[in-house]
Amino acid sequence: MGNSRMLSVDNLNLSFGGIKAVDQVTFHINEHELLGLIGPNGAGKTTVFNMISGFYKADSGTIKLRDEVINELSPDEVNKAGIARTFQNIRLFGQLTVVENVLLAMQQTETLGWKESLLRTKSYREKEATLKAHCIDLLKIFSLDHLAEELACNLPYGLQRKLEIVRALATKPKLLILDEPAAGMNHQETEDLKKLIHFVKQKFNLTVLLIEHDMKLIMSICERIVVLNRGVKIADGTPAEVKANQNVIEAYLGKRTQLHG
Amino acid sequence: MNFLAKNKLLFFAISFVVIGAICNFALNSYIQALVVSFMINAIMALSLNFITGVANQFSLGQAGFMALGAYTSAVLTKVYFADQWYFIPLTAFAGALVSTVAGYLVALPSFKLRGDYLAIVTMGFAEIVRVLFLNWDFVGGPRGYNGVVKWPDFLVSYGFTGAALFLTFIVLYHLKISWFGRNLWALNEDEIAAEVMGTPIAKNKRFAFLFSSFFAGLGGALYGHHLGYFSPASFGFLMSVQILIFAVLGGLGSMSGSVLSAGILTALPEILRSLPTGGIDIRMIVFPILLILLMILRPQGLLGRKELF
Repeated sequence: MGNSRMLSVDNLNLSFGGIKAVDQVTFHINEHELLGLIGPNGAGKTTVFNMISGFYKADSGTIKLRDEVINELSPDEVNKAGIARTFQNIRLFGQLTVVENVLLAMQQTETLGWKESLLRTKSYREKEATLKAHCIDLLKIFSLDHLAEELACNLPYGLQRKLEIVRALATKPKLLILDEPAAGMNHQETEDLKKLIHFVKQKFNLTVLLIEHDMKLIMSICERIVVLNRGVKIADGTPAEVKANQNVIEAYLGKRTQLHG
Repeated sequence: MNFLAKNKLLFFAISFVVIGAICNFALNSYIQALVVSFMINAIMALSLNFITGVANQFSLGQAGFMALGAYTSAVLTKVYFADQWYFIPLTAFAGALVSTVAGYLVALPSFKLRGDYLAIVTMGFAEIVRVLFLNWDFVGGPRGYNGVVKWPDFLVSYGFTGAALFLTFIVLYHLKISWFGRNLWALNEDEIAAEVMGTPIAKNKRFAFLFSSFFAGLGGALYGHHLGYFSPASFGFLMSVQILIFAVLGGLGSMSGSVLSAGILTALPEILRSLPTGGIDIRMIVFPILLILLMILRPQGLLGRKELF
């Protein structure tokens, strides 16, 4: 292929009791690619997602970020390895301000020290001020800086989505995973989101994995799409290929049957 | 928002000295004892507020840590330091350390649990500690520990307890507004999101718990040396609940709120004591009613998460 791989998922398995939620799933994401992961309800998208971000441990199989095996790591270690994610049902820290939300994410990449913070030394205050300035800069890119001191819970829905993406970016990820970012958005908002995803990908030189229900969105922006159904991968290819794939059509619409032979 | 700004610090130092002088020269020993009690209560309230208010980990075992601090310090002064009061700061520190070690042992398994389970574990821990001392004859068993060495006079007691309160406040307040506090606020709001943003939540909870148990132990040690007597019954479930009331009334997450409410709740029962009784103890009726009213009118506590300064 020539492309180096950002994330490789290899023969992943996970069962909940007797149910095989994920069955021998294998796929990969190339460096700087925008990959879509789709599938009908209960296909195992979220389960795969939770395995990548460290909440579920695979029964067998491996997940590798570049060359690092990450499927034994806890969620915070996965983040440190370079994967950031957003949530389908927005999970901001509502009682913290907008800038504090970003600061919380950004400070994980720095060492601020116990002693300095206990004594609140001048150097500590300066360090924190610098960090905060970085956060404001980041917010500025998304024109959220004028809301920096607002409580996150007071933001309108669209901006909360945006802030969640900004917060994920503040951890300086290599791979950004968006979990149904268009959920609950109207047409116009989805269009804006599309632009935002493109913009973020270019600006921060990111690889993006997009999990989405909105077919229009996914077909129009993804370079490649992986389709899951009942825990099994049934298709992997460009949007056009996937659209034409018989298995995918069956999974979404059901089988065509001849009524009278 | 810098508490250590020079003018504020000076203001606090001066008012501390003035209050101490007034108490020492103008007021009777009953009021003096109350003032010291207030400061110890404030230390206890702060210690709980940090873990329950900031980190949102519901602990009901503060009395257990308090007991560890009190017994350790009392035994050490008696056995090793020939009941000399000037060793109290040292033994109180040792008491706080013992409490911290216990805190670590409790935290290790408990922070795999969430929510109410932690309350049950810490409550159980406090009971274990209490029963342990109840059955340990060397420290008096159920009769209590008599003859704990006391501070020589009010000014010394006031000075050292005040210094301990200042230390507690500064450390916990600075932590609250630092990166560590932000980690705790984050897991307070949403553990999953905090974890995904790269904060090791179990580790953060453990550290918060260590700080909390350290200062609870310190408060306990000072409690013992202030009263000169305590028994396992002093550190029962009611004590844990009382500390919780202090923290909740002041506002979970507000450090100055805890100090304020410790002041109010130490003074209030004494003020109510002078009400006309007519045979019944009206104090015990008025006090809970006030608390219920507060819960209805201001459920977030007096200060919410804000600070006074």
